[in-house]
Amino acid sequence: MTTVQSGSRTTVNVNGTAVEMYSGGNGPPLVFFHGAGGSNGWQPYHEDLAQEYTVFVPSQPGFNGTEAPNWVKTIGDVAHFNHMFVDALGLEDIVLMGSSMGGWVSAEMAAMDDHNIDALVLVDAAGIKPREGEIAEIFMVSADTRLQQRFHDPGQVENYENYARELSPEEQLVVHSNAITASQLCWKPYLHNPSLPYTLSRVSTPTLIVWGNQDAIIPVECGHLFQQAIQGSQLRIIDNCGHSPAVEKRGEFVAAVTGFLNSL
Amino acid sequence: MAHELEVFWFSEQPYGHVTEEDLEPWESGRMHFPNTYFDPEKAHVLYSNYHDQYQLADEVGFDGIMSNEHHSSYWCMKPSVNVDAAVITQRTKKAKIAMLGNVIAVNDPVKMAEEIAMLDCISGGRIISGFVRGTAVETLHAGYPPTENRPRFEEAHDLIVKCWTQPGPFRWEGEYWPHRMVNPWVVPIQKPHPPVWFPGTGSPESVIWAAKHRYPYMNLGSLLDLTKQLKGIYHETAAAEGYEAGPEHFGYLIRCLVADTDEKAQEIGRTFLWTENHRNRGPMEFNDPPGYQSREALRIKMSRPLIGTGTMGRRMTYEDLQDAYNIIVGSPETVTEKLRHIRKDLEPGYILIYGNEGHMPHEDVMRSVELLGTKVIPALKEG
Repeated sequence: MTTVQSGSRTTVNVNGTAVEMYSGGNGPPLVFFHGAGGSNGWQPYHEDLAQEYTVFVPSQPGFNGTEAPNWVKTIGDVAHFNHMFVDALGLEDIVLMGSSMGGWVSAEMAAMDDHNIDALVLVDAAGIKPREGEIAEIFMVSADTRLQQRFHDPGQVENYENYARELSPEEQLVVHSNAITASQLCWKPYLHNPSLPYTLSRVSTPTLIVWGNQDAIIPVECGHLFQQAIQGSQLRIIDNCGHSPAVEKRGEFVAAVTGFLNSL
Repeated sequence: MAHELEVFWFSEQPYGHVTEEDLEPWESGRMHFPNTYFDPEKAHVLYSNYHDQYQLADEVGFDGIMSNEHHSSYWCMKPSVNVDAAVITQRTKKAKIAMLGNVIAVNDPVKMAEEIAMLDCISGGRIISGFVRGTAVETLHAGYPPTENRPRFEEAHDLIVKCWTQPGPFRWEGEYWPHRMVNPWVVPIQKPHPPVWFPGTGSPESVIWAAKHRYPYMNLGSLLDLTKQLKGIYHETAAAEGYEAGPEHFGYLIRCLVADTDEKAQEIGRTFLWTENHRNRGPMEFNDPPGYQSREALRIKMSRPLIGTGTMGRRMTYEDLQDAYNIIVGSPETVTEKLRHIRKDLEPGYILIYGNEGHMPHEDVMRSVELLGTKVIPALKEG
């Protein structure tokens, strides 16, 4: 069992690449991978999970304070890199959790090699192309549109004004730089990997899939497709909730995740 | 021998029937504006007019004709610069044909090399082969990730030049266009290959790339101060590369219309502002999706007038634009004097006349071509 101070920022060396990481809490290791917008650092739901787990929140290659090695050009490459990150920390038997693009990366990691993964949690994950609907355009839209897409009801988002405020030039630079990385990784095929529904058939790790019922970016239909692709997985749909249940329905989200993990 | 000024004719070949009211309801002026507004019968008439203008420009003494390519754009009905260049080879006898140019990042480079070589053979060596990155919409239209535009451009350029200069067959182990065998039959008539031009609006990277390759840089109508800054970057880069840049390395595109009187020209020239607020309208992320260009290029673009190939910037009136020498209209005497000012200020080796816009009447444009060729260009070349 590892013990670290809550929510502290450190740098981890992964085969020569400096990775920015926030970590905190007590208990078994839980690694969280962020979405295409980049890392928001240590969040209230991380703090909640840190009551029972040691939570690691790295910035993935090319996002925020983490360099992008030249060879990382696809989501598959990011998944390989993230495995190296887990190895560099010496973590074993982890809970692997990812949201949106981070959920896609986590699913790819599990499909590659899940022997070190005790449990997998996918949150409104990208990676599988819907059959009926479409994944919304996130790149060729304004920041206002992106914010509208993300939350079902801004009224139930804590500190919503923090999401809607004007950014400083330094923050704009980070947002712009994150968007360039996401664009390179996710443009084509758009936010999915046609092989993923098939390669996921090898995953035997207990898996929870969490989805906001009103997700306007990745339709809830994709949650069902993930459940069909991963044998024995559970799907938990949170109603009156958009693309970010950990933010918009934090209590319900944390209860769903800890309930699932405690049942294993 | 000092480089002598060369003057080129250019028309976007707009679909001039589009109005502000047509464009108003749509989210953007390019990919969202439905092609149901396009009437092929009307386009047939317009193409014919534009080709007549090419022929007249050649007859009255323009040194060359420049053409270009855009996609999903009502203001430029040219989805293929090579097709337009093929027409020019047949409608003109002497004029150079400057293609500015092929969007090589999103096309098969071997086929590009073959087509341009074919045009060079057909025209008897009159081709100037511009290579462009295109606006972001060209890349989106072609379905390529915006982050790949620049590396694809670099590889396509290298492969095209190799097709022209190295005997085939050869192997090309590229990242984007790997070929086990390359052996195009048709090669250019000009040796070692047709001159290459490179255009730009505000991006310093473009200027540096052109200067490193010793390719003439064509500035597409930026304001004079910015253009001088960019030209300065070219000179600095050239010096670092070990050569001295001269007028032969630099051209400038200017909107220009001549009529028999200043009053008439002022009236016709107002159409240069046709649908200016709509042509690149849309969220910034639509015209500049993440990864297409650097932050520095975006900043510079903000200083350009909201017109032409620009996407963002401050609004300028017709009168402002004339005061800034960004639009030049008038009698032959007025226009000659203003072009002399630009020549003195920028010292371009090439002046590219953007001579037509929107719904300008064909006969007025033909008269402008005639006055430019018979009066303005000779006076300008005298000094």
